Amino acid sequence: MFDRFIEVNSTFPKTAHVLEHKRQGGLVFGWLCTYVPEEIMHAAGALPVRITGHNQETELEDGSAYLYVNNCSFSRSCLQMGLRGGYDFLDGVVGSSTCDGARRLFDLWRNYIETPFHHVLTIPRKSTPEAHALYYQQVVQFKERLEEFLGIQITDEKLHQSIDVYNESRTLLKNLYELRKLDNPPISGAETMEVLNASFRMPKELFNEYLKDLLRDLPSSGHTHNGLARLMVTGSVLTNPEFIKSIENQGALVVADDLCTSTRYWSDPVELNEDTTPLQAISRRYLDNFPCARMFPSDKRFNRILSLVQDFKVDGVISQIIRYCVAYAHDLPLLTERLRANGIPMLALDVEYGTSGSGQIQTRVQAFLEMLGARKR
Amino acid sequence: MKALGIDIGSLTTKVVILDSNDALSFNVTPSGDEPESSARAALEESLGQSELNLDHDFYLVSTGIGGKLLPFTQQQKAITTCLARGVHYLFPSARLAIDIGAESCNVLKVNERGRIKDWVNHDKCAAGTGVFLQKMAKIMRMPLEEMSKLSFRASSGPAITGTFAVFAESEVISHVHRVPPTPKEEIVAGIYSSVVSRIMTLCKRIGIEKDVAVVGGVALNNGLVSILEKAMGFEILVPEAPQIAAALGAAVIARESIEKGADR
Amino acid sequence: MIHTGEKKDKIDAIIRACGVMLRMNKVRPDARESENIYYQMLSNYFTRLQDAKDEGRFVAAHTVFFPTEILYAMDIVPMHTETTTWMISLFTGECADLLSAGTDLGLASEICTPHRGLAGAFASGALPRPNVMLWSNLICDNTAKSGELLMEINRCPGFFIDHPFQHSEDEMKYLVGELNSMIGFLEEQSGHKMNWDRLAEIVARMDRQIELFREICELRKAVPSPFHTQGFLELLTIDYLFPGQPEATDYLETLRQELADMVKNGEGAVSDERFRLMSFFIPPMHLIGFLERISQEYGAVSVTEPFFTYWGEGRLDPNRPLESVAEKSYMIPETRMYGPLDDRALKSIVDCAEQYRVDGAIYYADVGCRHTCATIKLFKDILNEIDVPVLTLDCDVVDPTITSEEEVREKLERFFELLEDR
Repeated sequence: MFDRFIEVNSTFPKTAHVLEHKRQGGLVFGWLCTYVPEEIMHAAGALPVRITGHNQETELEDGSAYLYVNNCSFSRSCLQMGLRGGYDFLDGVVGSSTCDGARRLFDLWRNYIETPFHHVLTIPRKSTPEAHALYYQQVVQFKERLEEFLGIQITDEKLHQSIDVYNESRTLLKNLYELRKLDNPPISGAETMEVLNASFRMPKELFNEYLKDLLRDLPSSGHTHNGLARLMVTGSVLTNPEFIKSIENQGALVVADDLCTSTRYWSDPVELNEDTTPLQAISRRYLDNFPCARMFPSDKRFNRILSLVQDFKVDGVISQIIRYCVAYAHDLPLLTERLRANGIPMLALDVEYGTSGSGQIQTRVQAFLEMLGARKR
Repeated sequence: MKALGIDIGSLTTKVVILDSNDALSFNVTPSGDEPESSARAALEESLGQSELNLDHDFYLVSTGIGGKLLPFTQQQKAITTCLARGVHYLFPSARLAIDIGAESCNVLKVNERGRIKDWVNHDKCAAGTGVFLQKMAKIMRMPLEEMSKLSFRASSGPAITGTFAVFAESEVISHVHRVPPTPKEEIVAGIYSSVVSRIMTLCKRIGIEKDVAVVGGVALNNGLVSILEKAMGFEILVPEAPQIAAALGAAVIARESIEKGADR
Repeated sequence: MIHTGEKKDKIDAIIRACGVMLRMNKVRPDARESENIYYQMLSNYFTRLQDAKDEGRFVAAHTVFFPTEILYAMDIVPMHTETTTWMISLFTGECADLLSAGTDLGLASEICTPHRGLAGAFASGALPRPNVMLWSNLICDNTAKSGELLMEINRCPGFFIDHPFQHSEDEMKYLVGELNSMIGFLEEQSGHKMNWDRLAEIVARMDRQIELFREICELRKAVPSPFHTQGFLELLTIDYLFPGQPEATDYLETLRQELADMVKNGEGAVSDERFRLMSFFIPPMHLIGFLERISQEYGAVSVTEPFFTYWGEGRLDPNRPLESVAEKSYMIPETRMYGPLDDRALKSIVDCAEQYRVDGAIYYADVGCRHTCATIKLFKDILNEIDVPVLTLDCDVVDPTITSEEEVREKLERFFELLEDR
């Protein structure tokens, strides 16, 4: 059932879909962070793919040479893949001012990797009406630069179509997550991550078809997963399903997350109504979406974490923060406090991007699970 | 007049004698606690003297961590300056010199006159030096030479990604104690590629330009050099006695001084 | 996370240190008058902060690159948290205690020492408790994310200025809006009304001070260069703590005159200038004295700091005071490292190197400062193109245990020899 998704991920970044799209003369644009509105690129006729780094923890000699060892391993890993030609099919790269890692990754990319089109968006850290006005201007500007670069018009009609495709995807993913609320869900956390990863790396329309098939087959598949404890994973960007697998192999079940590669990616739809243009609706959604730790105030994120904990009947939270991922590291004391006040234990792990969760991490997860088990008894 | 170069390192002291017609002799002795007596002993041995006598026939340039403290040296030079000159003497075509010593790794961009254009380095705490390799050999319970040989036997190893020696160490220990343990040759290959990767980071930061030469004690380690070559993607120049490059550079500078008629 | 409340803060250590410097300067024949003004200013700043509580004055703690002009115009006592913390750390020698107090709060070791230390300083009571906490995302994620925890530690309200990344008209408008909202917040919290006339006066003085900063830099182009190697830290502190204040004008005018006189007489900061250096980022605080000595010893002087002293184009307009304060935040040299590093930002490095006739550059690679270290390769490549070598010194700006004098001396000596040998 998951083979088609796994196949996409195992050939990433040059997946068959990307190559096929290029062969047909299509454009491929890479985006660096969930605050970059994908619909705009899609409406321009391009295939948007998410730039991520090596799938596993690996030597980052190029990444560390061009960035520095005190930059997060995610930005170093992405840059290294780019420097080594992994993304040489890209016609454009779109960054954002999300965090120091993201903005420097973009700076270095712009200077050292020959991608024809570069654009960076200012992302406000607040979601006040003024911040929305500013972000809207940024989205408009991005659209105009794309139009100029490609010599095309991105019409409202096209934007509407793209919104439909992306919203459908968000709804389908929401449905998939609904299954994870079950006592014995038919899908594991690691499997969910394979599905999500594929969603960044192939045409959305096709992904939606794959996902519909999966949603049709899953309930009757006889698959069930259960675990000693239901966990939620929070923190930095995470794309390696092996990390989730290593937790689940120890008897837990990962049922929820607030990762930018999972829930924060799909959770909120673009809401259209008669008074808004598609661009307004898109920009509203991206700035109001389930926030990253970079956003102010942090409470907005904490509250959504707490409601996920409730909705998914979470017993404990695993925080995995990539070293030098400062936004999440600063939130950790506050989040720990909020969870503690709500009786939710948390395990805080320092990791490197791509970690498979072996060694020391395994030992700590095991101890955490034992503690959770003791609580339940 | 003979040009003498001495490099007093933390582990060994190297002496190079360069006479007027380019004939070269050298020796390498362990460094003692006192740089001065180590230097004295090393020089006596190289010169075949029973008691050190640096009369008017010699011009001595010293370098290395102990090089500063010699009362009888004519000039004291930074290790980097000497490395560049030594590499240039050996390989005039070299534009990038990699020196992997016991406690530090220097990467130098060298011009056509053997002068340094730019320099990057990392030291003790980083997992890319001789001391680190020795520590690893201890954990692996095998001599360095055996590690070098073993490294040829594995095509790939586990990633040892700890940037600092202490993290890398614990990663290696966990491979050794794993049940079942990771095969030794694979761990060694992992250690070597991690060291090479640190070195490559420095090279890429400064910019790789051909030819590339590697010197310093660790360059004696064939296994490591071979992995480094693979990483570079082309052949690297390795001198027969890579550990004496800095002492040789010091001797070259001594000879330049003699030619300039420098005062003693 | 509990503030120890009424425990005595450690501001006194800074005031005492300033007193010592002033007394020493009285007997030092080569002491500059501007230096005396500087230490007196610091002493006054921290005395005002120390007395604020007793005098019932309203104190606002704020992070670096903050529009302090607004606080002065509202008669609010500013506390520059990073500067105050590192001075306390330096003069009490209690860096380790401050850092471990930060770690105890749950802050990871990757959080830079200035910010881990300042959270620790509030938590341990080394810093006085402010009435409000103000912060912005200038200049990095650490500043952006520090405020909420500090509000919690101090149990005080706070305001976050969201400083936009780029410099378009829309972004300027947004920033002015942010500043206006903060003024509203401060009026409500302090009961003080914004005095717009006073802000206009401050902006007029700030405009003059920017001119003076530029003139001082211009004088540093002279060979030999007249300003001592770590002098740029004085210039930084002046803008950190006293923007638009009359005493800052006094300091800058005095300094400019001193340097002009030196240039006229052909005097340099060091007796025998051999190496003209460009500096990036801030050297370790505990090594400042040592770096001054080694500068004299080797005739090596920092003559330009593209991201610290090289002010961009532009003037401030007292008739549009708030817009000017917003505009200034884009003119501050360091904030050029915040926006996208486009060709213009990079070209300013080459311009500096050429105009100031730089022989080599030193990059103080602070282990905790991610966004600056990320530019090492980029700057190195640009400077190598015009044959300027760059020494990277791994260090920590506050924590003295990361680098020792010996290590730095070793590297600097090698670097100076490299420059000499060319």
